[in-house]
Amino acid sequence: MPKPLSNREIFIKGLWNDNPVLRQVLGICSTLAVTNLMVNTLVMNAGLIFTVAMSSLTVSILRSYTPMRIRMMAQTLIIASYVIIVDILIKSYLPDISEALGPYVGLIITNCIVMGRCEAFARNNPPWPSFLDGIAVGFGYALVLASIALVREPLGFGTLLGFRIMPQGFTPWTIMIMAPGAFFTLGVFAWFVKAFFPQATEEKR
Amino acid sequence: MRKRLFSIAYMFVLTLFFTSMVSAVKFFNEKKIETNQRVKLQRIILSVLDVPIDDDAPDRELVQVFNERVKAIEVKGGTVYVGYGQDGRTVRGYAFSIGGPGFWGPIYGMVGVGPDASQILGIAFYKHSETPGLGARISEPWFTKQFKGLPLHPIKGGNKIFYLKPEGTGKEPNELDAVTGATGTSRAVETFVNQELDRFVRKIRGALKNKGMDRDA
Repeated sequence: MPKPLSNREIFIKGLWNDNPVLRQVLGICSTLAVTNLMVNTLVMNAGLIFTVAMSSLTVSILRSYTPMRIRMMAQTLIIASYVIIVDILIKSYLPDISEALGPYVGLIITNCIVMGRCEAFARNNPPWPSFLDGIAVGFGYALVLASIALVREPLGFGTLLGFRIMPQGFTPWTIMIMAPGAFFTLGVFAWFVKAFFPQATEEKR
Repeated sequence: MRKRLFSIAYMFVLTLFFTSMVSAVKFFNEKKIETNQRVKLQRIILSVLDVPIDDDAPDRELVQVFNERVKAIEVKGGTVYVGYGQDGRTVRGYAFSIGGPGFWGPIYGMVGVGPDASQILGIAFYKHSETPGLGARISEPWFTKQFKGLPLHPIKGGNKIFYLKPEGTGKEPNELDAVTGATGTSRAVETFVNQELDRFVRKIRGALKNKGMDRDA
């Protein structure tokens, strides 16, 4: 039995060492889809952080009662419930953003990050560390998405959070608004992180 | 056997709990979501009927103006929103939904025409999946403003009500600027909007007349 992780270790792991997008390459679909405007990205991030944290917490609370054979079914149900709640709340209070995010909020249900954390961590750990792990991984995802949006929105629209930041004569790069722009940005970003901050296992090679 | 029964019972209780939770959240927010969608549509209808209203007017004010100035009537071929002038009696124009295939997916819009159906008051494209920054520019004001005052008439032969030409090359009043870099979207808009306008002039207007709504006979 490995020694349980301290809260600090959980955070560093989720946020950086095991960053879901950059290191584990999970949740790419939504990373590409919602990062062309910072506002949308932030709402999506909040939705995912809430879902991962709450799902991990719930799965962890129920971990000793849930029969092994039906655990995936139970996890999916739990995750889906939280995602639908997030979706309803965004539709009620942020209708414009809900429209811009389209199906991607609902698709958090199938986001590998959420179920990945339930399976890999929450299933075997007490509620509080599981909740923290969810928050940490959620912020890890948020960090990458926000960084990509920080490149895409200014280059694609000339704005940031809706405010004009590029000079008047700037020609927007349309490709940055479309999915390929996200591919390039994410690719460059992942390379940068891997090249300059290699993980322990990668260093040995 | 006992284990299996427990699994079933467990899943049953879990499902019951979570679906109740989701239903409760839905129940308390349903009205708000519905209102959001209705207000959004009402804002579009007012804008194509050219009823002056602030872009960031609060929802309550908007709904009030809408209720005073617009009445929805059902005719053969769809819903028509009749817009009234300040006095609430003279007809200001008619608004109706339009839609058709775009370049990437369906485009939905709303168009307002004058009381004698002779010209366009305003047009809006509010739902589409065209390329951002290119085809998606059809919903920008510079594009939709061009339609204002466009004369309407039934389509005869190969003529169209309007044409979209490369930016700056239109000579006739019915030759409007296309979106540069979005030939596919422009062509699609030209085709389906012409069809929808023709449908209005030919069919919906007749239905309105039958209801005694159109003064011009």
